[in-house]
Amino acid sequence: MPLVEPGPTGLKTEAEAVAAIEGGNPGQNRRLSLTFWLSAGWIFALVFLALFRDVLPIRDPDELGIRTREVTKFESPSWNAFFGGDGQGRDIFARVVQGARPALILGLTVTIIGGILGSAVGVTSGYLRGKVDTITTVFIDIALAFPGLVLLIAVRATFGNSMFVFIVLFSLTSIPGYARIVRGASFALSERDFVDAAAAMGATKRRVILRELAPNIALPVLSFAFIGFALVIVAEGGLAFIGLSLDEITWGKLIADGAGDIGKHAHVALFPATVMFLTILAFNLVGDSMRALYSPREVATQRRLRVGPVADTGSGDEVLYIDDLFTALHTPSGDVHAVDGVSLSVKAGEALGVVGESGSGKTMILRSIVGAFALADVTRTGTVEVTGVDMLRAEPADIRHTLGTQIGMVSQNPLTALNPVRLIEHQITEPMLVHTNMSKSEARARALELMKQVGIPAPQRRLREYPHQLSGGMRQRVTIAMALANEPALLLADEPTTALDVTVQDQILRLLSDLQRDRQMAMVLVTHDLAVVKGFTDRVAIVYGGEVIESGPTEQIFTNPRHRYTVALIQSMPDLDLPSHSELTTIEGTPPSLISPPRGCRFAARCPAAQDICNTTPASADETSEHWFRCHFPADDDAKENV
Amino acid sequence: MLIFVQRLGRLVFVFFVVTFVTFFLLDQAPGDPAERFAGLNATPEVIEGIRAELGLNGSLIERYLRWLGNAVRFDFGDSIVTRGFSSWDLIRESLPKTLELMVFAEIMAIGIALPLALASARRPGSFIDKASSSTAFGLLALPAFVLGIYMSFIFGVKLGWFPTIVDNLPGLNDDPLDNLRQMFLPSLTLALNLVAVYLRLLRSDLIDTLQEDYVMLAQARGLTERRIMWRHVLRPSSLNFTTAVGLNIAGLIGGAFIIEVLFAINGMGRLVIQSVILEDFNVVAAVVAILTVAYVMMNFLVDVLYSILDPRIRHAAR
Repeated sequence: MPLVEPGPTGLKTEAEAVAAIEGGNPGQNRRLSLTFWLSAGWIFALVFLALFRDVLPIRDPDELGIRTREVTKFESPSWNAFFGGDGQGRDIFARVVQGARPALILGLTVTIIGGILGSAVGVTSGYLRGKVDTITTVFIDIALAFPGLVLLIAVRATFGNSMFVFIVLFSLTSIPGYARIVRGASFALSERDFVDAAAAMGATKRRVILRELAPNIALPVLSFAFIGFALVIVAEGGLAFIGLSLDEITWGKLIADGAGDIGKHAHVALFPATVMFLTILAFNLVGDSMRALYSPREVATQRRLRVGPVADTGSGDEVLYIDDLFTALHTPSGDVHAVDGVSLSVKAGEALGVVGESGSGKTMILRSIVGAFALADVTRTGTVEVTGVDMLRAEPADIRHTLGTQIGMVSQNPLTALNPVRLIEHQITEPMLVHTNMSKSEARARALELMKQVGIPAPQRRLREYPHQLSGGMRQRVTIAMALANEPALLLADEPTTALDVTVQDQILRLLSDLQRDRQMAMVLVTHDLAVVKGFTDRVAIVYGGEVIESGPTEQIFTNPRHRYTVALIQSMPDLDLPSHSELTTIEGTPPSLISPPRGCRFAARCPAAQDICNTTPASADETSEHWFRCHFPADDDAKENV
Repeated sequence: MLIFVQRLGRLVFVFFVVTFVTFFLLDQAPGDPAERFAGLNATPEVIEGIRAELGLNGSLIERYLRWLGNAVRFDFGDSIVTRGFSSWDLIRESLPKTLELMVFAEIMAIGIALPLALASARRPGSFIDKASSSTAFGLLALPAFVLGIYMSFIFGVKLGWFPTIVDNLPGLNDDPLDNLRQMFLPSLTLALNLVAVYLRLLRSDLIDTLQEDYVMLAQARGLTERRIMWRHVLRPSSLNFTTAVGLNIAGLIGGAFIIEVLFAINGMGRLVIQSVILEDFNVVAAVVAILTVAYVMMNFLVDVLYSILDPRIRHAAR
């Protein structure tokens, strides 16, 4: 319990200091807000009054009203005395101005001394690490555990209550707070490249600390210093309040003196209290504004799920029917058109592969089906039907029921797909218990059955374990078991093998495919890897820039690709049948921006066959045909011309 | 288990350092307690006798060890000022009030902060989020004694709902209604400072968790938002919060002391302050020892709770 402690907020501050460095966008300039300037103005006014009190027309703070007859006892606040008079007719405004002096002197000296010493300790231990660091952390721990108030009480009893004693004491107690922040920051920094580079070039440790670390730590420390300044004022006030502070007039004392009269003459305590509050607030605001300069602000996007007009509805025999789906994410930097007019449908027992590179919007198609977007403001337009239920406009309870009973979802990374603090058993049985009438024991029996079906050895034991106790492949099997819990009609698999070992990938794909065929489920398999699609899907849709650019039976896509992008994708696929010296082609360039997509063909900028029309007009396609594509100059045509 | 042993070892070390430093500092204070205890007209022999009786002989280390040996049996020596009472008597008298204050404050703080944090994290940037975040920021700038003044003024003086001074506090068992009425303002004042800290911490951790894959998948499984928040999001988000609650106990004690003075509650805070002013150092040392033990135990409890909340830590500790 140090007096000047970062407190539990310090815990956060340290993490923030680290985040600032790791997030690292020092070049980004942000404007300081109005509140910053107001706060700075308040602090400036305070300093001004405290400095020039003697030359300004302010009354003597100790002058009794009885003698001067200027201020009466408990005079109400007025133009005569802004804050009124106290019980002895003294001008409270004058006393508050007088009290600003010790607050500022104490705050400034303690912040400087504590800040410098604490930073030195923190940098040394954060950069040198090893034993130095261990010893320092133990000491910081002890210092933070120390009952600071009691320490102060003991010290005060021994050494008296002069300003000097207070400065020394407060400085000492503020060291751990600074040390913690700086230690965290330099820890993160010392792992950064430029620090390593300096060390590699033969700079001495001291030089690295002074030249490379110090400038980068300065801003976090400075921002904390303002908050620390406020903490000193609070600490002094607290001591004054319990009668253990300086002999001079301090704010804490003024508040304590007035507290007894709160019933009848509230202004005596309220004015000093409010000045103190505003001062602390001002220092905190300045510190916070400075923190905003180096640490990127949190996303303030509201979570919203909006729905636009409907498109065509399905014929009823599709398990999944998507027509003209547009999904836009509204972000501060503009609307991201993640899904841009996509139409897809899958029947029972059918497997559709959705292929595209990262950032093509393929995952967003799946998210749009289930309507799960974390913290984002999203608008979906068009039609998404699952077993005939409108997933955009049906009653929330119906949507939830469809999600829970008709759809199973397997996500990319099994390490993050399971809740780390819940038992496997609870995670698998939850959808059954929520969406069906199954009893707990029935659900448990079914969970065990599912675990066997997805090939988990010792399922009984595994059910009573936590996700971190399982390997990646096992965890993916668990998420598959969860997806199957309520016998869904539609299985959505989002890159189910990307995060897994190569040896496990094929097993998981086979498992998914077998389950899909046995249960006659409709499946959407999203992947960036064409090879994955080859043996496991009936049809393929190629996605680029938020659009489907080619769609057809899997066989035809591989034997007769038409869109130039599809051709490039297939050429970039390693093929074991080809001689080992044949070259793999790569696609030059990057995918188009989804915020302002190109006007014409999205692939035009990277396409070897692009002509002027590609940049201006999107190609049309007959989406009702079995194999269609969106290309002005499809691959096969010029092949024919060449023949 | 090794981690627990290490932690425990460290905490015991903290206890020894803190008590020894306090003992040392109190020893440096001017004035001889034996002389004061004996009174003005005491002969040197009498003073010497009292010194032996009070255990004031021997080197600092010797006295510290003797004190420690007695302290284990809750014998902290007599109060030098209030003759006839032992330090432990005085502490036993005042401890329940401080404890009540702290427990009430903690309950209120969690009761206010938790729903607000959940509501804010669900819809960051919404009105409730913005309002509670700015209020929390304001509360952080309000030290307990300033806030207390405001609370007394508004609820005590202007509205007249609660007394501004705790007077003749009945036990919680004897007259719970009067007890709660009197303790309400002090507890709320102490709680509001905590609310600010807890709210900020919980909110940002909740928002982090809400971005996790498993939360998205829980939504995709058609679970209600309420169920997702309580069953899936809250527990993984409560680790930092648990630490803060534990660590805050130390800060809470300091805050409670000030509240006790402001609302005239005869708790440990007033006891220790009076003891310092009257140089009744046996009592001071006793209070420090009790506080340090409490702090150390809370820290250990937080560690245990931590491993209950997060199975990954539990298994790493094995």
